Amino acid sequence: MLGIKALPREEIEAIFSLAKSFQEISTREVKKVPALRGKTLINLFFENSTRTRTSFELAAKRLSADVVNFSASSSSLAKGETIIDTVKNLEAYHPDIFVIRVGSSAALYALTQHTEASIVNAGDGRNEHPTQALLDMFTVSQQLGSCEKLKVLIVGDILHSRVARSNMFGFRKFASQIILCGPPSLVPFDCAEEGIRVEYDLDAAVESADVIIMLRVQQERQTSAFFPSLREYSKNYALTPRRLARARKDALVLHPGPVNWDVEIHSSLKWRVHPLILKQAENGLAVRMAVLFSVGTKKRTL
Amino acid sequence: MNAKHEDEMIIRNATVVNADGEREADVWIRNGKIEAVGRGLTRPAAREVDARGKHLFPGFVDLHAHLRTPGREDEEDFASGSRAAAKGGFTTLFCMPNTEPAIDLEGIAWWVREEGRRVGLVDIYPVGSITRERKGKILTEFCALRHAGCRTLSDDGDSLADSLLMRRAFEYAKLADVLLVSHCEDAQLSQGNSMRESRISSRYGISAVPDIAESIIAARDIALAQYTGGRLHLAHVSSAKTVTLLRQARAAGVRVTAETCPHYLVFTVEDVEKSGFDSHYKVNPPLGTADDRAALRAALRDGILDCVATDHAPHSRIEKELPFEDAPFGINGLETAFSALYTHLVLTGACTLPQIIRSLSFAPAAVAGFTDRGAIAPGYTADLVLADLSRCWTVTEEEWCSKSVNTPFLSRKLSGVIECTWYRGRITYQEQRSG
Ligand SMILES: [Zn+2]
Repeated sequence: MLGIKALPREEIEAIFSLAKSFQEISTREVKKVPALRGKTLINLFFENSTRTRTSFELAAKRLSADVVNFSASSSSLAKGETIIDTVKNLEAYHPDIFVIRVGSSAALYALTQHTEASIVNAGDGRNEHPTQALLDMFTVSQQLGSCEKLKVLIVGDILHSRVARSNMFGFRKFASQIILCGPPSLVPFDCAEEGIRVEYDLDAAVESADVIIMLRVQQERQTSAFFPSLREYSKNYALTPRRLARARKDALVLHPGPVNWDVEIHSSLKWRVHPLILKQAENGLAVRMAVLFSVGTKKRTL
Repeated sequence: MNAKHEDEMIIRNATVVNADGEREADVWIRNGKIEAVGRGLTRPAAREVDARGKHLFPGFVDLHAHLRTPGREDEEDFASGSRAAAKGGFTTLFCMPNTEPAIDLEGIAWWVREEGRRVGLVDIYPVGSITRERKGKILTEFCALRHAGCRTLSDDGDSLADSLLMRRAFEYAKLADVLLVSHCEDAQLSQGNSMRESRISSRYGISAVPDIAESIIAARDIALAQYTGGRLHLAHVSSAKTVTLLRQARAAGVRVTAETCPHYLVFTVEDVEKSGFDSHYKVNPPLGTADDRAALRAALRDGILDCVATDHAPHSRIEKELPFEDAPFGINGLETAFSALYTHLVLTGACTLPQIIRSLSFAPAAVAGFTDRGAIAPGYTADLVLADLSRCWTVTEEEWCSKSVNTPFLSRKLSGVIECTWYRGRITYQEQRSG
């Protein structure tokens, strides 16, 4: 699965219903089913991410797949070994699934012709992080019954966020309205696509939102002048009790984690928002099991 | 030298194409020069070539190519670059100084010119750098470089960030009679980013360059040329905004000429997406939108964009195998330039054949100050290209001459086959017909 962009709505729904049935496995005494027994999965991470890698690894193990973790630093790329080389080398072991995280945007499309295995995108630069969006959407549909015709507000550094991109494309497939909110310097160019609204004022944007997705803000954006200071950023874009009070009472607050408390979300809201953020992580496991099962049983690149 | 000297020859019944039109004619060549062009020329002693049904063009002049030598001979050298040029119908070629070392001294310029002569397949002119080591700090010795054969100077790969230094360069270039070729890129705006800022760069989160990164510097350099009365040539124009500036400048009488490249006339950001972000589509400046392409095509028809240059930029296979954002910029262009333009512009009705020939031969020869090439007419150098426009060819690695194969045209079918190239009356390329 390379991204949500090209993923039909029916497939998303199929993954959700699979995820629902897999959720129960993690509560069993013996947390394992033989769904992917004899299949080999390689976690190929060119960028560090313990959380995502662990989640995929656990998901694969609960389905009885054999998992190998392969961390290649991007410095080996500098030495002349390309991702294509690495994948071709690992191809010799006849893996069934590659889970790949890479720092360059849209780097995985060119890979598909170099491997027989299915590829699951675990984050490619600023392009997509499809399993994160799927788990966000799964969480929302568990809470609200569906992802249909909602108002979804995405707040923060949208320009650099693969999570924002995947969610944008995902929720739109369910006729939900997307509102992007962040400093103008961090909203991507030419967003005027159907169903996407840009609103710079968070106070106005939170009103009537059903779902609020808060993004992580990177310290380094300040040094490259996307905004003048973290202080001013949080003043304008942190979710505060006052702001949350303007939203619908039952509005869901999501965050891909880890949260920079008081920068993105005021810490006094922790009691209110943290349970759902932790639920996201839990759902992430079930969703990734569903994704691995669907690409592992049928040979394809979703 | 494998090309044999043809003392005297008549090419019969070719469709002779010049910038001002095409007509069927015979072309009589003697001692490397065109003696006469007309119907039914009689010259019993001469060898004859029957070119009925074929087209004859003046040899192409490329104002902008990277031959990577000295420094990256693994990617291209004078021999491989010359073979690629001859195969593409080029008889004159300007090679850019972003080499290691840069062409910033007369000795290096001299060496380039001599090495080109030694290969002897195409007239290679060194482009000297405007500043020492292309560092944008100290001007090179323009007069010495001119003496060593540099007709044009450029820090191609970078713009001069220092506007005062660029002003001085315009002023001093008048003394040396050299043309300044400007690579227009505001490096702060572009940040070395990978593709044109567009709906597609936003959808895929690709680091992006706005079109104004080009036009801001184009506007500055046009203003400097106007203020100083200097001459300016804009390299690889890629955006509609720069075309607009060019139109205004021409109307105001500024001494500015410009080139674009086949890839900007053929491809757009949509092709980058369609290719699955294949780094063969990564080039600097990056490919533009459909609106940009339309503006470039219109300007080429009007002659506001004078020339098409290849910006031939060979890159090693391994470097182009890197992901789109990590791969180097550049497209390998000498061997496909004509066929790409013929297929995508002439056959689609976007331009006429004489307009294409004007941009490949006549206009670049005039821009570089040649009076002996760029047309098929008596007294001109016998630099000629014979093509069969009814045939197609597929771009394959097996028949590729350049040392690098970084072209988005790989495996594509193109119309218009160059069968023979003559450089000063000598054959420098002849198609090997298989089967
Ligand atoms: Zn350039």
